[in-house]
Amino acid sequence: MKKGTIINDRDVTLRFIRRAIDETEELREHVVSFDKDEVLFEQGCNLHHLYLLLEGSVRLNRMNKDGTSLDLLTLENGHYVGLVAFATGNKSITSAIANEHTSALKIEQGEFEQYMNDHPRLSHPLQQLMVSNMTERFMKNVVLESKMHSLNKELEQEGEQLKKAYQQLEESHQKLVHQEKMATLGELVAGFAHEVNNPAAALLRSSEALKENFLNLEQSDPRAAIFSIGLDSEPLSSDEQRKRMIEIHNRFPWVAERSTIRKLAQMPDSAHKIIQENRKKIPIETLTQQFEAGKFIHNIQVASERIANLVRSLKSYSRQDNNEAEMMDIREGIKDTILILTNRLKFLDVTLDLKEIPSTCGKLGELNQVWTNIIVNACDVLENGGKLSISTYSEGDYKIVVAISDNGPGIPPEILPRIFEPNFTTKNQGAEFGLGLGLAISNEIIRQHGGFIKASNKEEGGACFKIILPVKDC
Amino acid sequence: MEPQIYILVVEDELEVMDALVNDLEKFEDTFPVETANTSEEAKRVTEQIYESGGEVGLILCDHVLPGENGVDFLISLQSDDRSQKSRKVLVTGQAGLEDTIQAINNADLNYYIAKPWTREKLHEVVVDELTEYVIKQEYDPMKFMSVLDSIRLADVIRSGRITDR
Amino acid sequence: MKLSIKQFYGLILGIIGLIIPFFLNIEGLSEAGHVALGIFFLAAAFWMLEPFPIYATSVLVIFLQVILLSKEGFLFQSATETYTPDSYTAFMGTLANPIIILFLGGFVLADAAVKYNLDKNLTRLLLKPFGTKPAFILLGLMVVTGLLSAFMSNTATTAMMMTVILPIIAQTDLKDPMRIGIALSIPFAANIGGIATPIGTPPNAVVIGALSQQGVNIPFGEWMILAVPLVIIMLIFAWLLLLFMFKPSTDTIALDMSGKFNKSKNALMLYGIFVITVFLWVTESFHGIKSAITALIPVVFLTLTGVVSKDDIRKLPWEVLWLVAGGISLGISMKSTGLAEWIVTSIDWSSFGTLMLILVFSAVAILMSNFLSNTVTATLLIPLAVSLATSGIAGEGFSLIIISLVIGVSASLAMMLPISTPPNAIAMSTGSLETRDMAKAGFAVGVMGIVVIVVYALFYWPLIIN
Repeated sequence: MKKGTIINDRDVTLRFIRRAIDETEELREHVVSFDKDEVLFEQGCNLHHLYLLLEGSVRLNRMNKDGTSLDLLTLENGHYVGLVAFATGNKSITSAIANEHTSALKIEQGEFEQYMNDHPRLSHPLQQLMVSNMTERFMKNVVLESKMHSLNKELEQEGEQLKKAYQQLEESHQKLVHQEKMATLGELVAGFAHEVNNPAAALLRSSEALKENFLNLEQSDPRAAIFSIGLDSEPLSSDEQRKRMIEIHNRFPWVAERSTIRKLAQMPDSAHKIIQENRKKIPIETLTQQFEAGKFIHNIQVASERIANLVRSLKSYSRQDNNEAEMMDIREGIKDTILILTNRLKFLDVTLDLKEIPSTCGKLGELNQVWTNIIVNACDVLENGGKLSISTYSEGDYKIVVAISDNGPGIPPEILPRIFEPNFTTKNQGAEFGLGLGLAISNEIIRQHGGFIKASNKEEGGACFKIILPVKDC
Repeated sequence: MEPQIYILVVEDELEVMDALVNDLEKFEDTFPVETANTSEEAKRVTEQIYESGGEVGLILCDHVLPGENGVDFLISLQSDDRSQKSRKVLVTGQAGLEDTIQAINNADLNYYIAKPWTREKLHEVVVDELTEYVIKQEYDPMKFMSVLDSIRLADVIRSGRITDR
Repeated sequence: MKLSIKQFYGLILGIIGLIIPFFLNIEGLSEAGHVALGIFFLAAAFWMLEPFPIYATSVLVIFLQVILLSKEGFLFQSATETYTPDSYTAFMGTLANPIIILFLGGFVLADAAVKYNLDKNLTRLLLKPFGTKPAFILLGLMVVTGLLSAFMSNTATTAMMMTVILPIIAQTDLKDPMRIGIALSIPFAANIGGIATPIGTPPNAVVIGALSQQGVNIPFGEWMILAVPLVIIMLIFAWLLLLFMFKPSTDTIALDMSGKFNKSKNALMLYGIFVITVFLWVTESFHGIKSAITALIPVVFLTLTGVVSKDDIRKLPWEVLWLVAGGISLGISMKSTGLAEWIVTSIDWSSFGTLMLILVFSAVAILMSNFLSNTVTATLLIPLAVSLATSGIAGEGFSLIIISLVIGVSASLAMMLPISTPPNAIAMSTGSLETRDMAKAGFAVGVMGIVVIVVYALFYWPLIIN
């Protein structure tokens, strides 16, 4: 059967039926007409008749459960309306509404057979129309099915893409949060550093001035001499001090107060000589006071220099001022990181072997987070006195290697492949202030720099992280 | 004769130790100050003090120390009758809440001084703790009135430790 | 136990002193007198150089007398021509001598007063009328201290007053000499105030105990009539002295007068018993109830009512009672063995006039008690004075009571050194004054004390006694 024949046939058949209706008085009485938007029947009613459209068109409309109404299809002349309900005897599943002025042949249930018998010349066209109606609807159904199938497929694909996009979004969100955290930290540090720098500078300068004031004394004056010795003195460990206090007791039998003995114990022999020589002329209290003054100025200078160094490192570590890629020496970043982590590294045996490496293009601040992260992880597993070694070297002209290894328990083999996965952690979350936020981010940072991280366990025990970075120009 | 009562300072940073000991100078004539840089050394020093017939009246201890930390050291002192009665003070900037709670519960910690300390605060705490120690050990209050809390010690005399002769 | 060199000499001297008389034959001294002399030497050496605590020496004295001199001892189980031994109960009985019981009553009262903060609250109440002018505050502090130490131990009074004055001293400028004045005023007033009543301080007990052995009974109230005027004069003198020596440089002193009397049932009971006891003591001459009997009232009723607990009783200064008992006990054998009389007769007293005697005894007592315990001083000197008076060698007008009073009062007026009395030691140990200040002021008080004592002994006491 060629496409289009059904319709052609339907037109022909319909014309024949129309003619039959025109000729037969009895049939003419069964022709009904509807105005635009007039309802032929309502959804859910029992249909007792069937319409054959002669002129105009009717749309089938279904009211869904959620309250939306949907136009299902439009029937034109030559189509039956109410066919399903009529054939099955069930309630109508749609409403039928006239689209325009429409006329139709209304066929009562039970009368259909009658028509067939009464008007034998109608029987064939009516049946033919019914078949063509059915065929047409079936074909439509097939097309719909296949359309739905491809739609479903598309939907699935889209869902998959959405999932991926979401995952990416999640990752970049985490990274953003982290970056934001680091940026905030950087901002805080920059402000803090500025605020601390001022008093630190004041301390340093004042102690310098104080020193000069004291040194203004006549250089031959034993007080000035002993002050200078105090300036150069280093504090003693308590064990040494105890030993020396016993010595002092023998050397200065005329000194009774323990506090004076302690002060004498902190002095080098050269200072003792000055005191012995001037015993008659200058009271010992004066000389010990001079020495103490020198010693305390020395302590102030050492302490304020420490503050200044810490602040400098903190500033360059966080690199708030510059988040652009630049030519940098990775070793500077490693040194800063170590200074920042002094508190954690205080009681570890840290070996630095930073060989000459070329400068490369990268974001120093981000790389510092990588070092921090790996070093803090090592600190967490090392006991006091544990060994941590950090080395840098270049492989060929284009590769920089940073190796960080410890002599701790190593990484359990079962988790070794997963440590760079996002959200992987063995620690209680929130317990530590996160300077390094997970190896996943470290991995990401290194990847963005065009390098990669390798984690392994050394044969002699302990974990080893190797970071390989390319040498490139900005 | 009453035993010599010592003050023990445990601190690993030498400059900080220097400053602490200097701030304790006022007490040195009555309570000799002993120092240690690690808890292990501190144990050795206390043992020496006990052997010489002395007592440790007050321990000022940093928390972050090489080897055993300050709180663990203070806890370990509780198992010895001689050091259990010593007054214990943490002088630190770094002990977290948990460590401190542990020290209070298990080491009978008497005070916590946050670094940086002030000389006034340090003196106040040392005076309070040593006064408490001297009263608890029922030593002659008169010997300590000029350096410690004289009013509290006078009150101890008043309620009958010493009388006319 | 480690002894200092001084203590070591004390130990050796004491032992030698005890033994030597056994190998000597002193003419005019009985056999028992030799033994008593040995015990006296030992006691003197031990008390003065203190190889042992003085209360321990006291019980040692009682013990030695029991085993060497009593009827039940090793040496004199029956009477000899020259010595009729006492029963051991005479020596041991000193531990329950009426004066000891009187002291016990005083201790219990004072202890309860401290327990319920009566002393502190009374101080605040009494200090109020003295205003804020430094001079009057100083006077107030001294009056209150003197008054309290008449009934409490001088030491406890001083310690309590320290809690009052230390905040004042802390407030005043470091350069203000008044700091020293205030710090000295308390021990001075406490030492002086202790003279005022029989229970004020142990030397009084030694005097009263020694007199009662001679059959002389001094009622509580009579002692006060004899002593209080002297106390008042001495307090006023000490006040003026301190004002003069340490002129206050501030205009006003703020005193913290906050505090509330304890109003619990026990405290009220204590207040009642306190008032009744003190009233009965002071009025002894009128109703004749012996002060030692009255002293049992606080002991009985404060323990019955639980105002004073078992722990409080344990904390009482029992060693002071032993110290006094030992002193009284030593007097018994010195007299009965004829030792005291021998000592007295071996010196030519007639070359001294009455004035001279009083002056010498007073000066020696003050000097000795500056270095020794006040009680020990009185204990060592009283037997001499007693035998001097009873033997009649010193001549007419040398009254037993007066010379005893001279010694008792003088023993309390020594306050030159921190070691002179515990109140001095407390004041010194606060670190607000130097020995130099104490020595200067203490010397002035001592000299003034001798003058006042001589004047009283010559003109005032004879009036009262006769």
